Amino acid sequence: MPNTLTRNNVTISGNPLGQPLIFAHGFGCGQGAWRYVIPQFEEHYKVIAFDHVGSGGSDVTAYDRGKYDSLNGYADDILEIIAELELEDVIYVGHSVSSMMGVLAANRAPELFAKLVLVGPSPRYVDDGSYKGGFTQDAIDGLIDSLDSNYLGWSSLMAPVIMGNPERPELGAELTESFCAVNPTIAGQFARATFLGDNRRDLAEVTVPTLVLQSSDDAIAPVEVGEFVRDSIPGSTYVVMTSRGHVPNLSDPEQVAANIRSFIE
Amino acid sequence: MTDDLTLSHDLYDNAPCGLLLTAADDSVTHVNETFLSWTGYRADELIGRDFHSLLSAGSEVFYATRYQAELWVRGEAREVAFTLVRADGTEMPILVNSRLVVSDAGDRSAVRLAVFDSTARQDYEREMLIAKRQAEVSEASVRVLQQASAHFLAATTEQEIAVALASATTDAFSAFDTAVMLYDDAGEFVFVVGDYLADALVELDTLRTDDFAVHVEGMTMITSQNEAYASSERAGELMRSLRAEAITAVPISDGDVMLGAFMCLFGRPREFDQRAVELHHALARQAGVVIARVKLQAAIRKLAMHDQLTGLANRNLLGERLSHAMAVSNRTGEPMALIFVDLDGFKNVNDALGHRVGDLVLQTVADRMSGSVREVDIVGRFGGDEFLVVCENSDRDAAVLVAERLAAEIRKPIAGIPERFPITASVGVAMYVPGESLESDGDALVRRADTAMYASKRAGADGITFAT
Repeated sequence: MPNTLTRNNVTISGNPLGQPLIFAHGFGCGQGAWRYVIPQFEEHYKVIAFDHVGSGGSDVTAYDRGKYDSLNGYADDILEIIAELELEDVIYVGHSVSSMMGVLAANRAPELFAKLVLVGPSPRYVDDGSYKGGFTQDAIDGLIDSLDSNYLGWSSLMAPVIMGNPERPELGAELTESFCAVNPTIAGQFARATFLGDNRRDLAEVTVPTLVLQSSDDAIAPVEVGEFVRDSIPGSTYVVMTSRGHVPNLSDPEQVAANIRSFIE
Repeated sequence: MTDDLTLSHDLYDNAPCGLLLTAADDSVTHVNETFLSWTGYRADELIGRDFHSLLSAGSEVFYATRYQAELWVRGEAREVAFTLVRADGTEMPILVNSRLVVSDAGDRSAVRLAVFDSTARQDYEREMLIAKRQAEVSEASVRVLQQASAHFLAATTEQEIAVALASATTDAFSAFDTAVMLYDDAGEFVFVVGDYLADALVELDTLRTDDFAVHVEGMTMITSQNEAYASSERAGELMRSLRAEAITAVPISDGDVMLGAFMCLFGRPREFDQRAVELHHALARQAGVVIARVKLQAAIRKLAMHDQLTGLANRNLLGERLSHAMAVSNRTGEPMALIFVDLDGFKNVNDALGHRVGDLVLQTVADRMSGSVREVDIVGRFGGDEFLVVCENSDRDAAVLVAERLAAEIRKPIAGIPERFPITASVGVAMYVPGESLESDGDALVRRADTAMYASKRAGADGITFAT
């Protein structure tokens, strides 16, 4: 059983005496997804960032197909990190799929969490009756195809990046590579756990004060889904940002940071 | 200069690849002729439109999650495979190279994209992909079965088989947990693995109706919580309490003999194809054969070690248990007791009422003896109407209590035996005290207990004597 902190490549920065602020990355990247936001909180907060198993600099040998077949396994990891670091009064910021992992973790141990910030959350991506998640099952199958064709080896320049090969100087920016690395054999199952889950029932059980940050135009988590999350989590705060796209933490970090700050301070 | 400019324009518009410039937010600001001719769009249809909206749904997800994150973090992305949807709805496989344009002030102002037609590559790759997936699937099935059979072969108990089966199913189907239920000798089911799941699974089974639990070739499956909730609130709640979105259940049998079942729990809604159903059954069959083998071995061992008439331990097993108890005693320093019981009046019953009635007496006495000793004590038939009780970790006071209870139980009238044929017990007790007792083996201790029993017999029967 590997050490929790090594397993999830946990990095701690900022003010050691500050309130703990955890940043969790979404599907398709590693903790690097928060690199422009984190510095803005290091003065006052104890900032914790980590990589999900299979992403970034995590310990891939800790991968367990049963455990990580749904978000429950990832939520357990978050609680283990909190326990290992003996954190309390935690502010949790989750991007994309990590927002639902945060919801699961906070529902299991609400006493550990002070606040939740969900950036681009979706409790279910696939349409279901009157619920519009924005995707059909075929689209998700298409994503799996897309992952396979990009990780198969012909997309040669994508592959070394994914495997974190620093011996290729022409790739440059070695430092950034592991920040956004994804293990190709795990990516497919992570995609299924992310896009084929259904966590709508978990939203109503949230008791921790929650901020929902919605991009104005997000192909992955459309505004209707953001509104569904807002309506399902009792007493949540909902902000639609002017940023576009699914990764506002990278494309518009200032706006994301400002919204987080005004919610937690 | 003018020539250069014309040349540049020509190269841009008629480049052997599609060229686009988008704003940082992905909306198209410039597009070349090559791209327009490939896709059938007019320039004015594309300007202002998000590039990602031109992709197939699956590609769009990859674009928004993986590719854009990569672009923002590294400043460029190369040879990323996407599927483009043309104006007429047909699809075109492409490769994209892109670079983020950062202004002197450090603002990320635009993205440059080069798009390559990868139709030729696509067909080849597609075939490779299909072949690779098929190979992986069959390789995985074979590997799972091989590993499982290796573990099954090494197993010597039903418990070990159940554990191996649970681990194989978690591996094979990415189940987060598996319960294995087996019938015991009395026909009662026991959750050998996943006992903590038993209550919810058993209740769920009682609620199961055909609308939410599908049967396919003997396998039962619930594929989502929604399905369970639609059938009954309670069924949904039970699934939720198990954190299970999907469950499969497969019977384990050996031929026509039902041995048990295993249930796999899944963390997200799942569908199971023919291959998955077959693999469930293959694992159940393998486990069934091995469980039957272990049961047979246990039965043979029981036959070899137990008295057929009374079901008590026979002389072999008694000898084994006695040696074990003495060894434990030597190790812990705690005394132990051996109780020798010989029935009084048994010969009369046998002679006057026949062997059949004699056998009934022996069976009744055996049952009463088994019921009046401690859980840890071993009762055995030494031969004829002689019985032994091995009391591990027992001092003299404890031995007195057990001996008295045995004598009292045996003394009670036996239904069907006339009062003029009383059955009582002559009892001899030998204590084994480590460091004091001289016996080096069980036989010597049995002889001492036998001598004490004989003293009881001579003293008029129905009594207890402690060996000196």
